[in-house]
Amino acid sequence: MSYDVIVIGASVDGLATATALARGGARVLLLDASERIGGAHVTAEFAPGWKADIASDDAGWVSPRLVQDLQLEQHGLRLASPGGRLLAPTGAGAWLEMDAATLSPRKPGGAGGANEAVTARDRERWPSFAARVGSLSGFLAGMSDAPVPDVGASSIAELLTAARLGVRLKRMGERDMTDVLRVLPMSIAEWLDDWFESPTLKGVLASRSITHLCHGPRAGATTFSFLQHAIGRPVGVASQVPQGGVGALTNALAAAARAAGVQVRTGAKVERIVVKQGVASGVVLAGGEELPAARIASAASPRSTFLELCDPTRLEPDFVRAVRNIRYRGAWAKVHLALDALPPLPPLPGDGPVREIVVAPTMDYLERAYDDAKYGRVAAAPFLRVTIPTVSDPSLAPPGKHIMSVHMQYAPYRLREGAWDSAARTALGERAVATLAAHLPGIRDLVLHTHVVTPADLESEYGLPEGHLYHGEMALDQVMFMRPVPACASYRSPVQGVYVCGPGAHPGGGIAGGAGLNAARVILGDVKRGQ
Amino acid sequence: MSATGRYDAIVVGGGHNGLITAAYLARAGKRVLVLEKRELVGGAAVSEQVFPGFTFSVFSYVVSLLRPEIIRELDLPSHGLHILPLESTVTPMLNGDYLAGWSDHDLSRRELYRHSRHDADAYDEYGRLMHHMAHAVRPILGMLPPDPSSLSPRDLMGMLKFGNHMRSLGAEKFHALHKLMTMSSADFLDEWFEFDTLKATKSASGIIGTFLGPRSPGTAYVLLHHYMGEIDGVFRAWGFAKGGTGGVSEAIASAARALGAEIKLNAPVAKVITRGGRATGVALENGDEYEAPIVVSGLDPARSFLQLTDPNELPSEFADAIRRYKFRGSSGKVNLALSELPRFTCLEGGDHQRGQLREAAWRGAFSISPSLDWVERAFDDAKYGEFSRRPYMDIILPSMIDPGMAPPGKHVMSVFVQYAPYHLNGGWTDAKREAFGDAVVDTLSQFAPNIKQAILHRQVITPVDIERITGLTEGNIFQGELTLQQLFFFRPAPAWSRYRSPIAGYWQCGSGTHPGGGIMGASGRLAALEILGASS
Repeated sequence: MSYDVIVIGASVDGLATATALARGGARVLLLDASERIGGAHVTAEFAPGWKADIASDDAGWVSPRLVQDLQLEQHGLRLASPGGRLLAPTGAGAWLEMDAATLSPRKPGGAGGANEAVTARDRERWPSFAARVGSLSGFLAGMSDAPVPDVGASSIAELLTAARLGVRLKRMGERDMTDVLRVLPMSIAEWLDDWFESPTLKGVLASRSITHLCHGPRAGATTFSFLQHAIGRPVGVASQVPQGGVGALTNALAAAARAAGVQVRTGAKVERIVVKQGVASGVVLAGGEELPAARIASAASPRSTFLELCDPTRLEPDFVRAVRNIRYRGAWAKVHLALDALPPLPPLPGDGPVREIVVAPTMDYLERAYDDAKYGRVAAAPFLRVTIPTVSDPSLAPPGKHIMSVHMQYAPYRLREGAWDSAARTALGERAVATLAAHLPGIRDLVLHTHVVTPADLESEYGLPEGHLYHGEMALDQVMFMRPVPACASYRSPVQGVYVCGPGAHPGGGIAGGAGLNAARVILGDVKRGQ
Repeated sequence: MSATGRYDAIVVGGGHNGLITAAYLARAGKRVLVLEKRELVGGAAVSEQVFPGFTFSVFSYVVSLLRPEIIRELDLPSHGLHILPLESTVTPMLNGDYLAGWSDHDLSRRELYRHSRHDADAYDEYGRLMHHMAHAVRPILGMLPPDPSSLSPRDLMGMLKFGNHMRSLGAEKFHALHKLMTMSSADFLDEWFEFDTLKATKSASGIIGTFLGPRSPGTAYVLLHHYMGEIDGVFRAWGFAKGGTGGVSEAIASAARALGAEIKLNAPVAKVITRGGRATGVALENGDEYEAPIVVSGLDPARSFLQLTDPNELPSEFADAIRRYKFRGSSGKVNLALSELPRFTCLEGGDHQRGQLREAAWRGAFSISPSLDWVERAFDDAKYGEFSRRPYMDIILPSMIDPGMAPPGKHVMSVFVQYAPYHLNGGWTDAKREAFGDAVVDTLSQFAPNIKQAILHRQVITPVDIERITGLTEGNIFQGELTLQQLFFFRPAPAWSRYRSPIAGYWQCGSGTHPGGGIMGASGRLAALEILGASS
């Protein structure tokens, strides 16, 4: 059996690439080194009887394009808005209560004057802020669903894409258009200070901007990062997530892939990409098996694609240098807590289950947490985003019990002192529990198991370079025509027949399968033209 | 009885940009009046005898960016402008060694080789890249920013010209420029170099005048901004004006007067007079009024619009944009009168060669930026509202270059200090100012132990002092941060980047307009050309 395309990595983007290619008529083989499908987006047991989204619990925006193009609903995907409440401690004993799906602050009042953490002025401004976020992130969304035009565009197609972009920009209206250019380089601290005064509201909003970014909220261009995370999931609008966790998404993608005719092989580690006279001709697996194909699409990181799977000594030095210079700087860790019961939660008047707890009391709190990471230490007082998936899916834990899935920042991949050994792992889990216990007294006694995923684990077990979920920081100098490096921003690489199709390529992380669909379009075009 | 007068144009503020605008307007035959609130011209580019016998460039202290066409067109050398080059920058290291940088590329490379072979090799290519980048940006500095949201033929042509310029760079340079515009100086330098002290010293020029640390995206551009220093058309040459930076202002003022402009000192302007939405003149604080159909403000955007005019008379979007405009002054200045030269430990002792280096170094600059962490930690203090306990400092000894600045055998030392946040926790007080001065001197003495005993007089200038004396809002030396969102067609506000304002006849010419700060003068010149174009 010979294949038109071999796709490396059965992650969300790898699956999307393979499925879109197969649906477009190509014969596709999808390989993954692990026995599991889904890359960093899998739902699995972390202790007997306890399941969680074991690495990333956020697959990003599942766009209508992905769902429709790959017919994911027919393959079991259900998207829904989880509803429920988000609680955020203010650090002064009070709590801010928000709608978990929209981030909108809940109305004040009720017993004990709860939720006074947001001022009347900020409540008044919320709708116009939400509208502005929708408009600005909508612009970024518009740029995500197609390959980026080349800067030195000369072909008609590229000029048309550029023109389309221009028209879209003009259509936004004069005010939003200049505003998008103005706010992208701003720090989120500056931008939120222009809007709001309530410290915890700003802390929670800012925490979105620094998620998967090794910067603090005062760093330039964190507003871009905030808006990037708001693509398809702006504030004020209920966002839709896969029911059943991220595993449900990857399972649906795998089913769609198989239905489309993709051959899937797990436990198949690609050792290298075979390149003859500058042209790819297949891959060699770890056992020595050689699989021929004229086109290889890699959903692995650009670093491992070009510096490990290809022979960098045979590539242009400038290209290799550019690839080496891609910044990853993973800064997050994951902690899963198996709980005997839910800890007593603050008596707030809102209804609906508490789905999320965010420890980001102020922007300065986040900034100080970043200061630690900057000097190579785990944050002494970390930012935590805690989800409680068992409130909607009790099957994840034994009857009556609960789990908490904790995204923790900052835990830098590169420690200045020590290494990510078992002591560091234990200390990290302890720090997460201690941070939570400061706001939820009693939680410590309820913890039955603690499972920790360090940045080093994210790299070794899930193939995330330096533990970075997006295969490269989403910073203004690493997006669009710069992603992953200018020489492969079109998904084609300097090695003929090798393509990039993971989140390391445009539009990057946070948009499930975005890069995969774009890459598949480019590859199919090349297949049809016989290039 | 109040004085009155009628002119073709009135320039508010006798800073270097205001004087340049006045000179160009006068050169075109306009009857021009410059109104300066202080008893001397120059704004933040002044030389004053702060202590008997000791003259200081009180605020701004180096000349690197002054546009050569201004020097030429206003014939500044014949009005006394004399710029003496600064040949070196020495950065003392924490291990007792030093890193010296020279205006001579080969010398720098050789010195770097001592610290890192890799960096010495990279230095050539880096130098070439920055040279190309500076040349790529230079035309933009002299370009009127188009309004990207406007569909007027002029703006569309402007965008086309801008777009064509970008395209003409070619993909490689365009990508490099994109990186410079969006990266942090630390990350940008990390791609080239490994030697920490080199990166620290270079990155320090990326933070000047901003409230960002070297690891924050957006600082790489300021790196380039400072790389564009050109004196007499020579790139990357830093200089010191004879007589201090006041010498630059005096030369421009002299040129303006020779061209017929009138300069009135001790004349603080209270407001711009408008009639029917048009500027018709200005009123001084003492009630004097002067009339002119053209009023040009060299003050910063906040003063120009929120103080000199009634913001309620401005379109609300414009007023909001001006209110949002970020100043965030982050630097201070310490001026020292010294009984002897500072003896930097890293340059002491050694052989004849070391002695020669010591002599040369005193005629150049010293940078207190031993490591990236040092500079970053200095910012850590500032972002939480404290001045840096161990700040980044840029130091020169003007009396070594121009002996007239101090009595014989004695010296003046100019210490630019960052960070000193304008918004200090609890506010700036006399005690805080002294504590800040002490932090500076203590840090200095770590590298030059004789400094404490050598100090005869000390002048400590906080951002609040800069604001009080020069009028620069929040003490920002660039009339507003040089961040991407405040450059080019955003400076100072979207759609109002071309020196105009919503009030007809009221113009801006300060560093708060494109292309921004430093003693560059481009804003003043471009404003004048735009005004003349509009009135012809």
